[in-house]
Amino acid sequence: MQAQRFGSGHAVRRIEDPALVQGQGRFTDDVAPAGEVFLRFVRSNAAHATLVSVDVDAARAMPGVLAVYTGADLLAAGVQPIAFGPAFKRPDGQPMTAPPKRALAVDTVRFVGEAVVAVVAETRQAAEAAANAVLVEYDTLPSVSDAISALKPGAPVVWADAPDNISAELRHGDPAAVATAFAAAAHRVSLEVVNQRLAPSPMEPRSVLASFADERLTVRLSSQMPTGIRTGLVATIPGLSTDNVRVVVGDVGGGFGMKTGLYPEDIVVAFAALQLKRPVKWQAERVEDFLTAAHGRDLVSQAEMALDAQGKVLAIRARSLANVGAYASTTGVVIQLMIGPWVTTSIYDIGLIDLQQIAVLTNCAATGAYRGAGRPEAIYLVERLMDAAAREMGLDPAELRRRNMVRPEQMPYKNPMGMVYDCGQFEKMLAQGQALADWAGFGARREASKARGLLRGRGIATFLEWTGGNALEENVQVNVTGDGFIELTSATQAMGQGIATSYVQLAHDVFGVPIERIRVLQGDTDRANGFGSAGSRSLFTGGAAVRVAAERTVEHGKQLAADALEAPAADIEYRAGRFAVAGTDLGIDLFELAGRQTAARIVVDGSASAGAPSWPNGCHICEVEIDPGTGEVTVVAYASVNDIGRIVSPTIVRGQIEGGAVQGIGQALSERVAYDAESGQLLSASFMDYALPHADGFRAFKTVFDESVPCLTNSLGAKGVGELGTIGATPAVVNAVVDALADAGLGRSAERVQMPLTAETVWRALHGDFGPALFEMPVA
Amino acid sequence: MSQASRGAGSRYDPLMTSIQLTVNGRALQAEAEPATLLVELLRGPLGLTGTHVGCDTSQCGCCTVLLDGESVKSCSVLAVQAAGRDVTTIEGLAKDGQLHPVQEAFVACHGLQCGFCTPGMIMTATCLLSRNPRPSEAEIVHALDGNLCRCTGYVNIVAAVQQAARAINGEAV
Repeated sequence: MQAQRFGSGHAVRRIEDPALVQGQGRFTDDVAPAGEVFLRFVRSNAAHATLVSVDVDAARAMPGVLAVYTGADLLAAGVQPIAFGPAFKRPDGQPMTAPPKRALAVDTVRFVGEAVVAVVAETRQAAEAAANAVLVEYDTLPSVSDAISALKPGAPVVWADAPDNISAELRHGDPAAVATAFAAAAHRVSLEVVNQRLAPSPMEPRSVLASFADERLTVRLSSQMPTGIRTGLVATIPGLSTDNVRVVVGDVGGGFGMKTGLYPEDIVVAFAALQLKRPVKWQAERVEDFLTAAHGRDLVSQAEMALDAQGKVLAIRARSLANVGAYASTTGVVIQLMIGPWVTTSIYDIGLIDLQQIAVLTNCAATGAYRGAGRPEAIYLVERLMDAAAREMGLDPAELRRRNMVRPEQMPYKNPMGMVYDCGQFEKMLAQGQALADWAGFGARREASKARGLLRGRGIATFLEWTGGNALEENVQVNVTGDGFIELTSATQAMGQGIATSYVQLAHDVFGVPIERIRVLQGDTDRANGFGSAGSRSLFTGGAAVRVAAERTVEHGKQLAADALEAPAADIEYRAGRFAVAGTDLGIDLFELAGRQTAARIVVDGSASAGAPSWPNGCHICEVEIDPGTGEVTVVAYASVNDIGRIVSPTIVRGQIEGGAVQGIGQALSERVAYDAESGQLLSASFMDYALPHADGFRAFKTVFDESVPCLTNSLGAKGVGELGTIGATPAVVNAVVDALADAGLGRSAERVQMPLTAETVWRALHGDFGPALFEMPVA
Repeated sequence: MSQASRGAGSRYDPLMTSIQLTVNGRALQAEAEPATLLVELLRGPLGLTGTHVGCDTSQCGCCTVLLDGESVKSCSVLAVQAAGRDVTTIEGLAKDGQLHPVQEAFVACHGLQCGFCTPGMIMTATCLLSRNPRPSEAEIVHALDGNLCRCTGYVNIVAAVQQAARAINGEAV
């Protein structure tokens, strides 16, 4: 019965929760070793400036101060900038370029918040006081904080090696064929689309604690990728090697992609611990995360779609400018130049694309991964175009989508970017979504809203996404111990998503022992190394490896049991924690068997390799009401049907979809990282100014999962789930608002609204004010 | 008696004040500087790290505790203001190994993912239910307005508070 209740596919209580609800989590800042000291950064208050002088004498003399480091100090010590792989080229054929991302600035600062000096002191207060005593003289230079302005002639130059401010550029598809298709098309629509800059905002800010003891550096931090952090530290700090660095990750208070890479701050903390031989801690304040943690999105596009008379999409053409900040990261550029385009044609059978993607340097913080990472931008673009085309042709937007969907018999289907979808029944998801949302009843609901003085709109997004991070192999080690535990060691990383619970369920399927007997160990580079957790990959790669390792353990155990029971291995059966000789009452307990082995444990490794990315998909339908007096938008209904393949933890995946959708609603309606166009100052540096969704937002989701289309490229049949809700929600909500505005008399001009759709933006639109055309104005 | 051994305590400020307070039912004496925040006292010298700090502007609510039964953001209260008063943190809710009904409901309803906002959410909800055992959904949402969560979308948090209310009132959950 236990296997029934706790195995995969069953809603279980998470094993993570009892500790977390009692305040017994172990986040980085909760660990306070004896003798720990505190690091604080002095950050640039200029968006672009030459460092005239950095005077740290007064700070060094302050009570309790142990060290003060400048960029020059780190340079002299041989600390290297964070490298990027120049996977792309500039328009002139030269490799991608960006200024060296140093741990502390040298000579020049290029965005507000860039770390200039680090102070280490005995207490947080002493560090703060000393930081305030540092004198930095800036010679301010002109700055630019949006991609369109940065490409204009005469724009301030962020980095001399890119006088045009272009870090890298890539064009996908067949421009000539697309031009021919557009010329012959019966219908053409075009849109300007802004995917505004976002702050991922996990509730736990970044946190790093580095200690040096016994000739080894141990770095404890809040990260999704422990091994990548180790690699990055070894590459940047002289004297470190893979052998003498250990990265440890405890509880992570949310990641959302923001905690995937090495940050300059991580290097400085590690360097200080090496120098001082004391545990050094840096706990980011929220403002520091707003200023210098990776931002997401920030893509502006001019996009066009060509259709034939029946509504078959012939081609998509887009030119997109990605503001990747001053110190562009490989991740930030790959997301916009490659990952987005991989899914631009989404679930539609569209043969021709012409996508020009340009990564632009500005005086902003670098962009990086944020939940969806490229797919939200691409799906938003195509779903906005679909609605525009439906409006142009006078077609039902769901019907236009249906006419263009890749059909099951076309699987495996290769899209124009060469991505191969293994499976998908998109029309089926659409039909279920329409039923769930009562598509046919919308007209009556709109009338009812109208009777209450409100404008009602309905928006749909049918879409897929790419998952796996192109890191498709995972290894899991099983340790069965004589004292009665099965320990699963994995290099994937928990960050709040409940992956340990899902792994335990999968192991329970095989071992059949009570789940209290199964433990998951993650976040320790001395125990396991790999890609980490990103791109919705953990379950379908790591989970598959759990199953393989568990099954191999049982097979190996049968051999050991055969020896112990003096019976042929072929006669050994395993069930619920016990090996037995078939047809006899002779047997041995799993844990007792382990206790008899060397070191009182059975150790078995298992690897699994997913053959390809998984392609989760769905149909999300949203309805909104708008108060025409204020412009306020309220989400009033949200129905989604989701194909994430086979489900291990029903409760967890529902939480992922709905929590993710609220993040997507946040982008649609309220969130925006804003820099002042003139000064480059960050205007949205607190939760007062950056509007995360609160509890008063929409919660009444209707969420359905269709498990009838298992993924064919991994043994679990699972597809990634972590990002799907976020990707679907943003276009569904915006399409609903545009629908309401169009119906209110704005017609196709309503398509000019840009996120976030705040009350002011919507009110202005209702009064015909959309602001200047996008590519004529600086996008602040 | 807890003594300052970590974090907030400073050996450089001579203006240390000795305060007496009750934390999770235990009478304590602690040393605090005039500017020490209650959250710093809790997380530092008292080692009660279940109370979290998620922002620097009193918006996130991760640091919410009960002060004489009233939910407060402990980043917005000076440690010395807690002198002579009764503080309850997330560590003080479970009794005799039994989760408090609000804790139990958060687990049962999947009201948490990363768990970082959770202690503050639970303390806010506990205060609400002690004052208003049968809150409406609107009252729950209003009470939670000062607590931010980035993982759950609040869906299951509100559901957990509703379930906790039923449990506290002896109704079927």
